[in-house]
Amino acid sequence: MIRLILTALALCLVMSYRCLADTDEQVATRSDVIDFAGAFQNDGFKIRDGNFFGKVSKDQPEVVAVNLYSGNAYWFTASTGQKVEKLKVSVFDDNGKPVSYLPYQSGTRAAAGFSPDASGLYYVKVALEEGQPATFCLIYSYK
Amino acid sequence: MSVIALASTVSAFADQQSTAQPTALDSPLSADELKNAVSIDALTVPTPGEFFKAIEKGGKPNWTSEYRPPISIKSTDRAQMALNLGTLIADGYIAVEAHDGQQVKNVGKDVLALAKKLSVSQSVLARGQSISQFAENDAWEQLNEELEATQNEVKKALEENRDTDLITLVSIGGWIRGTEVVTGLVLQNYNPEDAKLLRQPALVSYLKGKLTALPEKIQKDPLVQTVSRDLDSIQKMVSFSADHVPTVDEVKDLNIAASKITKEIGVSE
Repeated sequence: MIRLILTALALCLVMSYRCLADTDEQVATRSDVIDFAGAFQNDGFKIRDGNFFGKVSKDQPEVVAVNLYSGNAYWFTASTGQKVEKLKVSVFDDNGKPVSYLPYQSGTRAAAGFSPDASGLYYVKVALEEGQPATFCLIYSYK
Repeated sequence: MSVIALASTVSAFADQQSTAQPTALDSPLSADELKNAVSIDALTVPTPGEFFKAIEKGGKPNWTSEYRPPISIKSTDRAQMALNLGTLIADGYIAVEAHDGQQVKNVGKDVLALAKKLSVSQSVLARGQSISQFAENDAWEQLNEELEATQNEVKKALEENRDTDLITLVSIGGWIRGTEVVTGLVLQNYNPEDAKLLRQPALVSYLKGKLTALPEKIQKDPLVQTVSRDLDSIQKMVSFSADHVPTVDEVKDLNIAASKITKEIGVSE
């Protein structure tokens, strides 16, 4: 009985089909970004079990809409899983204006730490600053 | 507090050649970037866990106070069943947050009946053995981890069943019940920080968009039409400016509106 309800509870968390890792490249990027995000799991951040795969090139970033809660702290992390690109993750408010966040950049991996003062819509941008077009995986953690 | 939380985390990157700095200035998003921004349920719709995490910042909520009497599950209307399942799922989260194993079982009885009617794949349930054991042992942290891991199994089952439309209704039912509960908790011990959590204009707009994208047959369902209309009024209530703090009366109005929909969803045919 309990397992049924808890399985059903997961229904409300599982609503995306794009988050499935369909290709080897996606599997690799997801594995790498999960490994990356594990760095702050020890600080109490919980990795949300959802992700987005996109493709970026130097002139074609990807922007994802997220709804955040004031009081929570978030880390948005992305990785291409390859060794030549330089990724950047940045955060914007609901009007597309930049907000103050804590950036992290390390080759194929990038992250942005953000604590919203107001609940609501924000945008997370994943951009490629150096390198060839690549597939990336974006996830986020919160506490 | 949150700034400290982020700053302390940077240390975790210390051995990774971190380039972390305390702030960043970027160019605003272009009109095209805003227009083409991706909305994806897996990241755009926050989980109940995030909502609960936020409301717990102000102290441990009295989760048990938000329990409700058992609802009727006799309906054969699949749309109503899906919406009801969503509200029951939210009830289940509340029971987990309250660390109340008995209540989890009570809610599970209704969830079981609805899940069977909606043909949720039995194969998905196989993973639940360890979850059941964790629940029996009150191992709530491990339970949450296992619950997350179960999601992929659920995803496969839903794909196999081609029940994506029902998933939309389940998530709407869950959000409505969650809003009823959170507003109820805010009213019990009102403070501005908790009240500010209720600002979710884009989220309701997103859910409304998904509702209007459902097949015509489902959209013509009387209950779905009622929920859609009621969501319009709720959208106005949660669409306040970022610097506005909802008053007690405004929170109360939202609570009443959410409770009304929850009752409509749960009513017998």
